[in-house]
Order: sequence, then structure tokens, then C-alpha cells
Amino acid sequence: MTEVDKKLNITGNEKPKIGVYVCHCGVNIGGVVSVPDLVEYAKTLPNVSVGREYKFFCSDVGQKMIKEDIEAGLINRVVVAACSPRMHEPTFRIACKEAGLNQFLFEMANIREHSTWVHMKEPEGAYEVAKDHIRLAIAKARGLAPLAVQKVSVEPACLIIGAGITGMNSAIDLTAAGYKVYLVDRSATIGGHMAQLDKTFPTMDCSSCILTPKMSEISRNKDIELLTYSEVTEVTGYVGNFEVTIKKKPHYVDQVKCTGCGACIDPCPITVGNEFDLGLSTRKAIYVPFPQAIPSQYTIDMDSCVKCGICAREDVCEPGAINYDDEPEYIHVKVGTIIVATGYDEYDPSELKQYGYGKYPNVITGLQMERLLSSFGPVVGKPVKPSDLKDPHSIAFLQCVGSRNFREGGNKYCSRVCCMYATKQARQYKEKHPEADIYIFYMDIRAFGKGYEEFYESAARDYGINYVRGRIAEVRENPLNHNIIIRSEDTLLQQPIEVEVELFILSTGIEPRADSDSVTSLLRIQKSADGFFLEAHPKLRPVDTLTEGIFIAGVSQGPKDIPDSVAQAKGAAASAIGLMAKGEVEIEPFFAVVHSDRCSGCGMCIQNCAYGAIEFVDDRYYGSVASINKALCKGCGACSGNCRSSAIDIIGFSSEQLHSMITKRE
Amino acid sequence: MSEKNKWKYGFFLGCVAPNRYPMIESSIRAVFDHLGAEILELEGASCCPAPGVFRAFHIPTWLVIAARNITIAEELGVDIITGCNGCYGTLRDAWVELEHDHELKKMVNGHLAKVGREFKGSIEPKHIVQVLYQDMGLDYLRGFVKHKFKDLKVAVHYGCHIIKPSDKRPWDGECEDPTFLDEIVEITGAKSINYKDKLQCCGAGGAVRTAVKEISADFSREKLENMRDAGADIIIDCCPFCHLQLDLGQVEANNLYKDMIGEPYKIPVIYITQLLGLSFGIDPNLLGLVKNHDLKGVSPFIPIESFLEKVKTQLT
Amino acid sequence: MTEQTVEAKQSESKEWEPKIIAFLCNWCSYAGADLAGVSRIQYPPNIRIVRVPCSGRINAYFIIKSLTDGWDGVVISGCHPGDCHYISGNLVARRRFVILKELLEFFGIDPGRVNFMWASAAEGERFAVLIRKATAIVKKLGPNKKFEKKW
Repeated sequence: MTEVDKKLNITGNEKPKIGVYVCHCGVNIGGVVSVPDLVEYAKTLPNVSVGREYKFFCSDVGQKMIKEDIEAGLINRVVVAACSPRMHEPTFRIACKEAGLNQFLFEMANIREHSTWVHMKEPEGAYEVAKDHIRLAIAKARGLAPLAVQKVSVEPACLIIGAGITGMNSAIDLTAAGYKVYLVDRSATIGGHMAQLDKTFPTMDCSSCILTPKMSEISRNKDIELLTYSEVTEVTGYVGNFEVTIKKKPHYVDQVKCTGCGACIDPCPITVGNEFDLGLSTRKAIYVPFPQAIPSQYTIDMDSCVKCGICAREDVCEPGAINYDDEPEYIHVKVGTIIVATGYDEYDPSELKQYGYGKYPNVITGLQMERLLSSFGPVVGKPVKPSDLKDPHSIAFLQCVGSRNFREGGNKYCSRVCCMYATKQARQYKEKHPEADIYIFYMDIRAFGKGYEEFYESAARDYGINYVRGRIAEVRENPLNHNIIIRSEDTLLQQPIEVEVELFILSTGIEPRADSDSVTSLLRIQKSADGFFLEAHPKLRPVDTLTEGIFIAGVSQGPKDIPDSVAQAKGAAASAIGLMAKGEVEIEPFFAVVHSDRCSGCGMCIQNCAYGAIEFVDDRYYGSVASINKALCKGCGACSGNCRSSAIDIIGFSSEQLHSMITKRE
Repeated sequence: MSEKNKWKYGFFLGCVAPNRYPMIESSIRAVFDHLGAEILELEGASCCPAPGVFRAFHIPTWLVIAARNITIAEELGVDIITGCNGCYGTLRDAWVELEHDHELKKMVNGHLAKVGREFKGSIEPKHIVQVLYQDMGLDYLRGFVKHKFKDLKVAVHYGCHIIKPSDKRPWDGECEDPTFLDEIVEITGAKSINYKDKLQCCGAGGAVRTAVKEISADFSREKLENMRDAGADIIIDCCPFCHLQLDLGQVEANNLYKDMIGEPYKIPVIYITQLLGLSFGIDPNLLGLVKNHDLKGVSPFIPIESFLEKVKTQLT
Repeated sequence: MTEQTVEAKQSESKEWEPKIIAFLCNWCSYAGADLAGVSRIQYPPNIRIVRVPCSGRINAYFIIKSLTDGWDGVVISGCHPGDCHYISGNLVARRRFVILKELLEFFGIDPGRVNFMWASAAEGERFAVLIRKATAIVKKLGPNKKFEKKW
């Protein structure tokens, strides 16, 4: 027992002495309502011993004021009327704790986000709301009792969903800090979309050159359990203790026996479109996604395979690795933290009929152009026209395809990378064909990053790429040679412009994965309005989610380039490490509690509990009553919401506390 | 089975057809009667009003006048049909807007009350091509084909307001690549040919023809050039204003751009129901294809003799 | 004091504004309300917010007590069905409240006084729109005088 504890003699049964601290929050609150009047009002309410005001209570000086009152024995409950508790509840709880007061004897009244910021033009109304929110907080504070924080152990392992550049970087940093990583990807290889890129802006680094060493590092790393061609099917538990079920999809090729020799490729009779090359080349039903894939073992695409048995023949597959009877395997792992790095989908421009994608052969997407430029792509780095496989001598790009679209159902956001990748592709092509005419039709050129503006300037000035500011109005095909005739307005010259080009590239934008809903329901995380995963705070917590222990990183959080994705990967890894480093994490002790004497044993609470945390037990006096398993209980209150006997209650949001807030005093 | 009662429509005439190209109105009546649809007159109908010029000046006035025209059909309890893209554009856009915006509807009805009318939104404005293609259907129309062309190359001109704005039209959002008018043309045995910039505007609407005649003539010149290049025997359209622009406008283009075009254009311009009517075996007089007079300044301005020749030889 | 004089007294003071108690779930709706605040989206100052862990926490008695204690209206807002942070708390709540609304009507309380809504953490604008709607509905119903203590 500390000096302060003795002085305050907190048992929970003593008379509450509430300190009310009303914050000006600069002019955010003080500029709309009269803070001194609110303090005076608070002091008129029963059990309020102290009332103070200050400009910024979250500051050191402000916190000191509160701590001094606690240490002087003037108060044993604290109410701060300021911003949202989601902002500073932790700050003030720690302040109470440091002053010796149990941190759960603290309550916040939200008079900024829920009053002065939303009733700016009605200051009298805002004042009434603030008064009432303070009154409600004080009512709740009277009913608060000291609680002991729950500590749970944290499993020193992390699950990373998605093994692109982001997921891989997180994995490397986590293992460097000594943690085990389960790296899951639903594709048969790691590398993600970055493996499809040829060069990267602005340095023109070859994407494979910087990616493959990372991929090798991942495959060599003993602390990373690499689970490709796998999907997470269930996640239960909570921070520090997630129970995860992972489905390993059947390869139909024994991954141990397969040597990756490729003898099965030629004899395979089934040819299908190659997804890695976005339909620009073919692959067989038995395949690896691309030559440098890791793992390098083969997979059979059972949707296309006809089980002819040729690859299984002894003279084809010497190691005898083919297994048509392969079954999915389910594994269960326990992890302390989860990082979601599931990446993105490319926007499909087929719906924009005016640009002719899918109708005219010489209209392709940005990622398809990337495959054409790639040294291990379908044309080994020498882009050709789909119509006749000849080199184009004039190409045009259209920016903002599928982005910045405010029409019904369109993606309103900017995809952030397209201006740069179009410039990059234009420069690459100009290097191969100095005589070529290249046009980039744009609305704005966004060259915001390090070295980006210089890269763009050089493209226009030194490479002679024509940047035309104008949305393309009409696209037609010349039926004789499949050339694309483009009509646009050059808005800077205020003139119509018509060009005929041999290849037309739509700089398609980034979209959230089509099935991202399956991830949100799996993990109970949220999506923002644009469909990417929602961060806990857009500025200060960009890689956290609102669920403790689960982090997001990379393009799954929003469109970004490789440097920013890697930065977020490292940020998420650091946050996960921070959580796991202490070995234990504190959990708010807000659990359900049963008053056995009131329990009628009806079982309604058991039906309503989504976590199976309640069961019947035999009480000596009261017979069959409900009992809570604290390890599973999340404190949501679904049980007590339905209890007819008022037998089950939630600590921290008890019925008594809530009733005291509802009661209107005249 | 008596189809007579099944299809009953109020015929909105518009301005250009009655005043400049009465054969369009005549052919529509003849074909619809032949197909078993009943046509009622919309007494008291005014200018639609024009979707380009009028709407550009004052939208609320445009909306109220359009709504008034719709109420005439509402009182008769029939859908409106019109053979004009412009009237269709106005009536349909007004109808869709008033369906969705209750504030606008209140404003409009506030004005209509002064003349004892109320817009309810109980009938649908339709284009005759919409009725032919959707209400009746190609299979039904094929049943009436008596004669088929053996070799007739048709440059089909859709025009603009019949397909756009695509979200207010009944073609499932299709406005880049429509085929419905081509399909109707082809049941007559004629071939709809592909020509460059097929969906380009004729150049008449939006006050272009009225205010900047040379530019509108340049539009039609370009269209005619592309149609001629593709080997069109005739032009088929579904709008009297496009029809005027491509017919009288053809003469104007020939004059204004005679140095540019070489040989003057002489492609006959025919309205869709005129073509259909011929295929159905309806009397060409009823379809307005026989010019029994020598009056100058009366449509059609581009002679259609070459087309009538083909009709004589090909349709037995 | 008779009903008439109470009413007369009320009409003397400025126009009556409803007082609505709003129970917002911590994970979605409370965050959505915060977002409305951060985005400075304005809505009328008629609600008083009580934070709960989940809309499933709300016992029907809290709603009844709110009405008997004189609140003119009650708003309960949770996560969209399917998105509940506690998996199914909002669905449990939804089922419960459908029955409660019918019971209120049975007791002669206009069910328009109790409004259930769903707003996610990313929907600040939507939160404000729904609050404006609920406020307008309750305002139209007039002050809640059913449970006034007369002695």
C-alpha cells in the first residue's frame, strides 16, 4: 500500500469525492462554450469536491493539476470533460495511476467531438449538451469501483496474411527481433504484385533484382513458417492469444518430392491463360506462377486439369511427385499478433466502354504493359502490339482510369502510383525506341515522393514525352491496322487534339481486393469508406486497427508505392514487436459477472454469448446458475442485455452506473 | 388475338415532323396501325420543349412545360410515344427526374395546379423505336415482314438523345455500342453497314444548327463522308431533326463545302418506319415516299429515286 | 397545476426542443460520432450520448427507464449487421428491439420515440444524417409527458 493509497483509503465503499476538470482544449471547447460556467455548474452537483479549468489538461501541466489534487487527498474520483475518451482516456488513466489512484476510478465527458465541434453555430445548445455530458459522467463516476487490470500472456508469434513486399518485410523484421512468423499467402508463390513489375520508379531499380533476394531470405529463414497456397479460415481469441486455423490448399503435387525440374510442362495437354501475365501468355494446368517463384515446387490447377495422367507417368515425373488424390490440410496455430498485408486488385477497365478495352486489341492496362516490358514476360521485354505482334512506334497513356471518379459506384480516391508508373513505362519505352511518339493524357501529374518530381521533369524534358492535359473524349479504332485514334482536348493550349497511336495504355488504378469482406469478418476489423482497411487513427496510428493485436500495412490500408508500403511493413512489425516484447499485455477488466442469488437458470445469456463464455454450474445454494469464463468473456454485454432477472452485469458498464446516467434530476 | 386493346399510345408529334417532314408522322401512323396498336391524339400538346436550347435557358420552366405535356397523356391513361429523339429526350428526362426528386415534383405541381393539372408519373414516355423493339419485340415484327431487301446497304444513324443519358434510357446503360436500331433495320433484309464515327451527332441539336450553321453543316458533312466511304445506299434515322439535318443539311453541306467534298452527296435519307412499312407491304403513299408535286422548298430535298428503284426491283 | 397551465407555461419559454438519450456502441457508432465531430459535421444539439461496449448491452429496461424518467426520445446505435465487434451483439439487440417497439405501442407509447440505427466508425456523415432524422421524428411527436409526476 502506498502513502497515497493509505491517505485515500480506497475500497470502493467510501464516499466519492469527485474532481471535475473541464478543459478549454485551446479554443476548440473554450471558444464555443463558457468553461468557467461549466466548472461552476459541476461544483453544484453532489459529491463534487473540486472543479478546475485549464487550457490543455492532456499536457504535463494539466495532468500535474489532477495529480496534485489526488495526492493531497482532495479527491478519489476523476472526471475530465474534454475530447473523446478514444483520444485521451489512456493518458488520464496513466496520470491517475502515477498519482496513486486506481486508474479505473476515472471517467471522461466528451464535450468536444460530441458537443462543441458538432454544434458550432448553436453555442447555447452546445452548452446544454456539455452540461449534461458532465452530469452523466459525474453520475457514472459515483458508481465506479477500483479494479485490477488483467494481464494476459502474449504468444511470441505473429501471423502475417499476405506475402507481398509488405508482408515479407514485416516477416524479416519480426524474425530479426527473435519472433516466430507464420507467413500465409493464397497464391502458390510469395512476391505479390511487385513480382509482376519490371522496373521501379524513380530509381529504375529492376523490381526482381530487389525482390528476389528478399524472397530467398524468406525461404531460408528458419523462424518463418512459409504457408503459400494457403488461406486463413478461422481466427478466434484475443490480443496475445489468437487461435488461427489455416487451410493448406492441395497442390496435387507432393511439395517435398517435387524438384521443380519442369519435365511435366511440355507433355501437359491443357493450356490456359496465364494469370501472372494477365492473359498475355499461356501456361499449362501444371505450373509455377513464374520462373523465380518461391517455393519453386509445382502446382496443378485442378479446375483446368483433366486428370489425363500424363504428368504422373514414371518417365515424365521421375520423383513420382504427382498426387491426384491430394486433400486440403488444416493446421492450427497460436499467435500473439496478426498483420494484414493482403495487397490490392488492379481496376478492370472493361466497364469503361468508351476506351475500348476488351474490344480493340491494342488497348491494354498498365499492369499488362508492365508484363510486356518485363524481361521474363511474354515478349521478353520488347513490347509489341497485341494485334500484329509488331513494335509500336507511337503509344499513348490515359491517366486516372478507375480513380478520381465521382460517378455512381466509381472510386473517388487517387490511386497514387499511376502518374509515376506511366512516366516510368514511357521512359522505358523511349529508351528502347527513341523514335517513338509517346503521349500521356492526364488531369494532374502527382509526383509527390522523393525524387519523383525530378523523374517527371526529366521524362518531359530529356525524353521528350508529350504530356497532354486533357481527358480523352473519344477512342476509335482504325479498322485497317487496329491503330487507336484518340480525340482529346489539350486544355492548356485550349485546342482539340487528335492522335493516332499504335498502342493505347489505360493507367488503371488500385482497388481493394474483391474479397476483402472475408478478411474483415474473419478478423473483426473494419473498412473505411473507400473499401481499404480502416486504421485506428489516420495520422497517429496508421498501421493499427481498432482491434488490439491486429495490424494492417501496405496497399491493403490504402493506395501507396513501394517505399511507403515497406515503411508501413516496418511500422506494423515494430508495433507487433512492441506488444510481444513485454510478454504480457494488459486488458481492461470489464467482464460479465453473475449474481447467483438472482439467477433463474434460464440460459438466455448462454444463447446470446458469441464467445461461448457462459455455462451452467451447480451452485450450492442456488442450483443451476450461469457462470462466466473470464478467459473468453469480452465484456460486450449481450448476456446482460437480455437478462430478465438482472442477475448478470458488466463491470465497467454496470446497470447501476447506466441507470444513474439515465436518471434525470429536476 | 386482338392486339388492338393491348397497345394504346398517345402520339406526341413534336414540331419538326408536322412542320417540315410530315411523311415521318404519316409513316409512323401507318406502321403502328398495321401492327395493331391504337393511337390517341394528345390534344393541347405544345412544344416538348426542346432539350438543348430550352433546357439550357431555364431548367424549371423546361421541366414544368414538359410535365404539362406528360399530364395530357396521364389524363388519357396511356404511355406517350414519340418519333423524335429530342422530344423523347425531354419527356423522358423530365419523367425520370420528377420520379426521383420530390421537391422538384412539388414545385412543378405547384405551377401545374394553376392550370388545373397534376403530374403523377403514372405513364411512361417512350420512343417509337423503344415500342417496336421492347413492347412489341423483333419476333412480332418479323411476323409482318412480307418483302425483304436483297441488297441494300444502310447507314444507320441513331442520333444522341435516344441513347443518352444512358441511365435514363431503357437500353441497360448501353450508349457506346447500341444495336437495337440496326436489328430493326435488318429484319427488312437490308444490311446495316459499319461506318466511321457512327455515333457522332448529326450537328442539328443544342442550337448548333440555328446559331452556327457552318459548324453544323461540317458535322453532317463529316458523317456523310464516312457514310459514303462505307458504301451506304441510304441513311436510316429515327429523329425528324436528324432527318432534317441529314437531308436538307446534305444540300447545305454540298453548297458550303463544295470545294472539300468533291462529288456532291446524294444519299437518300429515310425514316425507320418508312423502311419498315415498305417491308410490311404498306402502300408507299401512306409512307410519304411518293412526291406528287413539284413544289420547291418541300422535303425531301435529296432525291430518293435511287432508293425507290431498289424498292421496285428488290421487293417483289 | 393542470395540464393546460403547464402547457401555457411551456409556450411562454422558447420553442421546445426534444432531449434524446443516445446509447452508442463503443466500436462503431461512438467512433462514428467522433468522426462527425472531427469532420465538423453539424447536427442539432438534442442528443446526450452514453457509451456502451455494444448495442447488445442495452437491456430493454434502460429504454423504458429513459422514457419514464422523462427523456423525449431514445436512440440506440450499433455496428451494421455482420460487422459487430463482438460478432453478434448487434443482431441480438436488433431482435430484442423489434419486440420492444411493438410492446411500446401496446402500452400507448409512440414507437417513434425509440430509434434504432446502425453507423460504422467510418460513417461520420451518416451518423449526423440519422441523428437529424431521429430528432425530427421525436420533435414532431412533441414532449414526452406520459410519465410526468403529478403529485
